[in-house]
Amino acid sequence: PPRACEDYLSEFRHCKSFRNRFHHYYTYGTAPSCQQWKADYHNCSEWERHKLTEAKDALQKSERRRLEEQKNFTPVWKLRQAPPGDWHRPLDQETQQDS
Amino acid sequence: MGQTKQDEEYGYDLFPERNARNPKQITIRDGLFTFRNKCQGMLRFAMETSPYAKLLLSAMKNSGCKVFKDRHFSCEDCDGTVSGGFDAASSQIVLCQNNIHQQAHMNRVVTHELIHAFDHCRAHVDWFNNFRHLACSEIRAANLSGDCSFSNEFSRFNFGLKEHHQQCVRGRAVRSILAVRKVSREEAQKIVDEVFDSCFNDHAPFGRIPHGNKDAKFAYREYMNRDRYYANL
Repeated sequence: PPRACEDYLSEFRHCKSFRNRFHHYYTYGTAPSCQQWKADYHNCSEWERHKLTEAKDALQKSERRRLEEQKNFTPVWKLRQAPPGDWHRPLDQETQQDS
Repeated sequence: MGQTKQDEEYGYDLFPERNARNPKQITIRDGLFTFRNKCQGMLRFAMETSPYAKLLLSAMKNSGCKVFKDRHFSCEDCDGTVSGGFDAASSQIVLCQNNIHQQAHMNRVVTHELIHAFDHCRAHVDWFNNFRHLACSEIRAANLSGDCSFSNEFSRFNFGLKEHHQQCVRGRAVRSILAVRKVSREEAQKIVDEVFDSCFNDHAPFGRIPHGNKDAKFAYREYMNRDRYYANL
């Protein structure tokens, strides 16, 4: 499975905790929906223990949907193909005081 | 003359030690119990223990921008109440040793500035000429670093609950822009409003808005397991 099954359980418990519900309301003005983590934990266990294909498909579908949701915005900038060339350029003598 | 004007236009006057014309003389005394030492100690602790920082450092390494403490961080004295900055021209994060006195604050500033560095590393961010890019990175940094957590806002006497986080992010983004660029408040507000929806929802590399260390630890765990994750989709 994409994650260890215990990870789904811990995410579910964390999602339902008071602290998280409080912060979710503070950020979005709504209550978080945690059921999906529970369903994923169930499917993960079924996949691991009994190798059920429906469980596997359901879990993969759920994770793919999660990834989609994270991309739900139009970027303001263009992504780079390579890191900036001057990231590792040594500093000038004037700006570097020690050594 | 031209140099000073450019300094002010890009906020460099807040960081006087970056001025190449008057390099500060280091004395023996500076080697002992100084703000600089405290700053460097807190920085190291943040890099080693804060899940926010560890995740960002890991993500930057994977993007080809491995961060070296001595090259990419600089503890300096700064003007006013500013806590830090990211200098794209020299690829350095500036930490204001005279304004950061607590570890929690250092953790937050390091996270905030690393988000700018991360954006610089993974995207063509035009820091100097494109205000939308600047606003976007500031929105992301305020959103994801814990700047706008309930407890931080509360301690600033900004009491608010429902969706207050978003209000805080907008406000801090505007303030950050005003601190380093010469624009009017209305203009800064307008730019922030334009890019807010896009940038508020860009949670890279966390994958979520980390509301505290526990969230950040979960995000870090997720990030470290991403190879297995993508292999099993």
